Amino acid sequence: MLPSGVIFKKYSGEEAYLVTRPQKLVFALFIVALFLFPMVSSTYLLGTVSFMFITMIAVLGLQITVGMAGQINLGQSAFVGVGAYVTAAMAVNYELPFYVAIPIGGLAAGLTSILFGLPAARIKGFYLALTTVAAQVMFPLAISRLPRSWFGGPNGMSMPSMELFGYEIWGQQGIYLINLCFLIVFATLTFNLQRSRTGRAFIAIRENDVVAPVMGINLVKYKILAFFAGAVFAGISGGLYAYYVTYVTAEQFTLWLSVIYLGMLLIGGMTSPLGAIFGVIIITLLQETTHDIGGFLSDRISFLDESVIFPATNIVLGAVIIAVLIFEPNGMVRRWRIAKAAYRIWPKPHG
Amino acid sequence: MSNIVLSAKNLRLTFGAITAVDDISLHVKKGQISAVIGPNGAGKSSLLNCLSGFYKPSSGMVEFEGEDITNLAPFRRAERGMARTFQGNQTYQSMTVRENILSGFHNQMSSGLLGGLLYWGRVQKENAHFINLAEEIIEFLELEQLRNTIVGELGYGLRKRIDLGRALGLNPKILIMDEPMAGMNTEEKGDLARFILDIRDARNIPVILVEHDMEVVMDISDEVTVIDWGKVISSGAPDAVRNDPKVISAYLGGDVA
Ligand SMILES: Nc1ncnc2c1ncn2[C@@H]1O[C@H](COP(=O)(O)OP(=O)(O)OP(=O)(O)O)[C@@H](O)[C@H]1O
Ligand SMILES: [Mg+2]
Repeated sequence: MLPSGVIFKKYSGEEAYLVTRPQKLVFALFIVALFLFPMVSSTYLLGTVSFMFITMIAVLGLQITVGMAGQINLGQSAFVGVGAYVTAAMAVNYELPFYVAIPIGGLAAGLTSILFGLPAARIKGFYLALTTVAAQVMFPLAISRLPRSWFGGPNGMSMPSMELFGYEIWGQQGIYLINLCFLIVFATLTFNLQRSRTGRAFIAIRENDVVAPVMGINLVKYKILAFFAGAVFAGISGGLYAYYVTYVTAEQFTLWLSVIYLGMLLIGGMTSPLGAIFGVIIITLLQETTHDIGGFLSDRISFLDESVIFPATNIVLGAVIIAVLIFEPNGMVRRWRIAKAAYRIWPKPHG
Repeated sequence: MSNIVLSAKNLRLTFGAITAVDDISLHVKKGQISAVIGPNGAGKSSLLNCLSGFYKPSSGMVEFEGEDITNLAPFRRAERGMARTFQGNQTYQSMTVRENILSGFHNQMSSGLLGGLLYWGRVQKENAHFINLAEEIIEFLELEQLRNTIVGELGYGLRKRIDLGRALGLNPKILIMDEPMAGMNTEEKGDLARFILDIRDARNIPVILVEHDMEVVMDISDEVTVIDWGKVISSGAPDAVRNDPKVISAYLGGDVA
């Protein structure tokens, strides 16, 4: 629903996401506020938000593969891992700057995903899910078997710090700003894709993969493209992650993480890039709170140690995801739209 | 000879012991509406599915504009200008009316993944151009009020119209329609019949039409083929077919006469 008084002179005008001047202004102010945030934030909070940006890029990628194209992917964190490792190798072995190393990591993750996306041409649903889980299982095995000079073998790799125009980017502030820039770029790309020819083809496949080919869509090609695009995002996220944590090991990229990514997308709403962003925020808040409550409890109640608290927080997380799926299968994005529409017709509901 | 757009030659399709299509030949000429009728389970949808490439016939051949397309994948047939609508409700539910129709233009557009992601000037221009073409179809099908409505929220009759709009987006050289009027009320049927006639006359697109409503079929088609148990039992002009004793007996002497 549009704000009242908005009239389009061209049909293509209706495609825009931001229409009125106040909308554009508020959005611009919001972006400026994000850039100024490091000046007011504590280091801990800044680190958390910065990490959310990294996660958002991976979940935006998942939104393309799973949300737009409807191809289930339980291997996203393995593709994040490929991106992290290749970025690390480029930065360490070839001393490439981060803005070259990270895109190469993204591309490498994309190419890897084709291997696991190929089966999507033939299978779907449960069996496809299993194939993508295979990516997850093979990733740590491959890393530990490959020559140590490539990816550091079982020891992992230590990252250099980012450099831009000869200056070292240091501290949580610098990393935050870099992550923010990457997020803005990749969020924009996702929103663009959604309304493009390729995005429409993805959505057509999700909606009806029997009809889509009859409308001229090459199923095999577009399913592979959907995996590729989603995994490139994962790889970029992995590259940023490597610089963020300064050390990569294969154990960081677990199946559990892939499940969390999927949970984030489901909670936020699969069918919109906005859903990916909402989902990461909601789950991160939830993780932080349950973690705090867990810590609070384990300090006071002697038998509640880490071995109980960690699984317990995950159970809470799982329960919330299931509850949302039952009560709002379209995710928080739908709630957001309802709220927006309600605001626009307030105080005079009509229609 | 060259006024034949699509022909099926001795098509046969079997499912295990069932022969759904049994030696059917069919020729669709330029500027014509060809109807295929027959009782339930006669093999009409199976025939159409062989034409559009869903099923590979066990034997026989499909020729489109003089070329053998029997082994071509559905999306390749779409590229060559074969469009179809479906039995039942097969629109993209979560897309708007316009997006559904726009998706039909897939092959005429050229931007790829990178273009879609970057959405730079050329891609925006292409999108805008095809949105205008989609709007022409929206206007033709009288869907202006609904252009931004999510299709899943619309009634059955309207969804069938959108299915048709999407097929027209392919700018087809032939349009195949499977029971477009099933489940419609009289008014909706009248509208759709008018659209089909316009498609033939104003847009010059030949139509293959499978339809149960005999009155409509006899009114709008140029040629009628009657099949029963997978075989052609009669074909020709509507009036001739209507009075064919074999057809009358296939329909139990019922509503055809
Ligand atoms: N995929 C399939 N597998 C097995 N048998 C099938 C399949 N599709 C169709 N048949 C059989 O082939 C025969 C013809 O079916 P078809 O759907 O072509 O009939 P139809 O003329 O379109 O009927 P209707 O008017 O009910 O749509 C039927 O006996 C049907 O059971
Ligand atoms: Mg049928």
